[in-house]
Amino acid sequence: MTELEYTMKTETSPDIGQELTADQQLNPKFIEVINYSFFYSGKQALFDVNLNVPEKQITALIGPSGCGKTTLLRNFNRMNDLIDGIRHEGDIIVNGLSLYDPLLEVISLRKRIGMVFQKSNPFPKSIYENVVYALRVAGQNNKKVLDEVVEKSLSGAALWDEVKDRLNESALSLSGGQMQRLCIARAIANTPEILLMDEPCSALDPIATAKVEELMLDLKKEFTIVIVTHSMQQASRVSDQTAFFYLGRLIEFGETRQIFSRPREKQTEDYITGRFG
Amino acid sequence: MNKHILGTFDEALNGLRNDVITMGSLTARSLNNASEGLFQRSEAHCKACIADDEEIDELEKQIDRDGVELMLRFTPVASDLRSVISAMKVSSNLERIGDLAVGIARRALKLNDHSPLEDLMALEPAFRASYELFKNAMLAFSEDDEVLSRGIKSRDKVIDALCKEFDSRLGEAMVRDPGHIRGYMHLLIMSRNVERIADHATNIAEDTVYAVAAEDIRHLVVE
Repeated sequence: MTELEYTMKTETSPDIGQELTADQQLNPKFIEVINYSFFYSGKQALFDVNLNVPEKQITALIGPSGCGKTTLLRNFNRMNDLIDGIRHEGDIIVNGLSLYDPLLEVISLRKRIGMVFQKSNPFPKSIYENVVYALRVAGQNNKKVLDEVVEKSLSGAALWDEVKDRLNESALSLSGGQMQRLCIARAIANTPEILLMDEPCSALDPIATAKVEELMLDLKKEFTIVIVTHSMQQASRVSDQTAFFYLGRLIEFGETRQIFSRPREKQTEDYITGRFG
Repeated sequence: MNKHILGTFDEALNGLRNDVITMGSLTARSLNNASEGLFQRSEAHCKACIADDEEIDELEKQIDRDGVELMLRFTPVASDLRSVISAMKVSSNLERIGDLAVGIARRALKLNDHSPLEDLMALEPAFRASYELFKNAMLAFSEDDEVLSRGIKSRDKVIDALCKEFDSRLGEAMVRDPGHIRGYMHLLIMSRNVERIADHATNIAEDTVYAVAAEDIRHLVVE
């Protein structure tokens, strides 16, 4: 897979706010995790995971600390590559393309797969510059283009109305909830296909959490979202599918409504009802 | 079932279920009192049944309050959520059974002012069967007994048939003995109450199946 093909794919991604037409078929296996195992310096963190993430839905990964959910999330855009001694078995296919294709450029991959972290991490720059940072790095300096991206991304992150009159102020002057939405705006400025969210609301108050959750429901019209969360309520409120992990193994994966009302596996039931251990 | 990581949750859920079981015992006592009042023509039992209803009503309100508080505090899911919901629904059915028992006791007081009607005792088999069904439904609830609960639905049909048979008998009695038509009307309504008690017992069994097996068996046709 070449950079050009990835770039073309990015450019043909639908615009934020654009509705799907009836003839656009959603891919039920947008991300395919196939017999996937992952090791940190010999310590196995994931065991033979098989999972299909559907397109333009929200998939929640839940499980106790150390169960491997964040490891899997970080492998969706190969963030674990920076760690020494890692290795994997199996494959992860995104929209038909293997993440481990030797021709794949990781930078291009991360344009397609954006990530929002547990703690908001805006750059010590203006709100405007935070949003356009990646575009500037890619060489885009056309002010008209950048202005459009800023408005579109901040609107997409439900932040535009709150900051449109102070785009040149420091991003660090925003509230915690606004900073997290700015990070979401920064992530979607690249028009990725997939948004990965690692406990995006764990540091937010209930109002800011509600805004981010509403935003996620809005964003799934355009993006495939995978979220790691420790909040059962959040997983049940926002996600369409839920995967429960325990000790590196995928114990159960299914529709969120089924998982939280009638889980098939006893381990899932014990975990979500608080009877674990 | 393993212990909840929050001991207070298990305590709250057990407390809620225990209150429902207590409410079931009070309701059983009311039914016994109504039965004694009607078939043994005991005014004291009728009055005891009527007086006990307030306690049953209070328990229903308490169970509702505790159930809502439990959901607010712990936001239970899966089997825990079903247990809370079924406890609240069972208590609502118990309150209705208590009211039906009181209805029988009030009418029994009126009947007892007159000489006994010839057909009165013909209602006893249906009353007894309805009471047994209720007792079994509560036993199944308290022990999470799915098999016993599933069997109750078909037994309800037997009581429907007994009540229908009794009603036909009353129809004939009213033609034969029009001087006591008011008394027969009381019996007819009591027969309806007996049949409704069995319906509520069936509801309790259905709620137990929902709690235990996550299956909604309401309105399913039973042979």
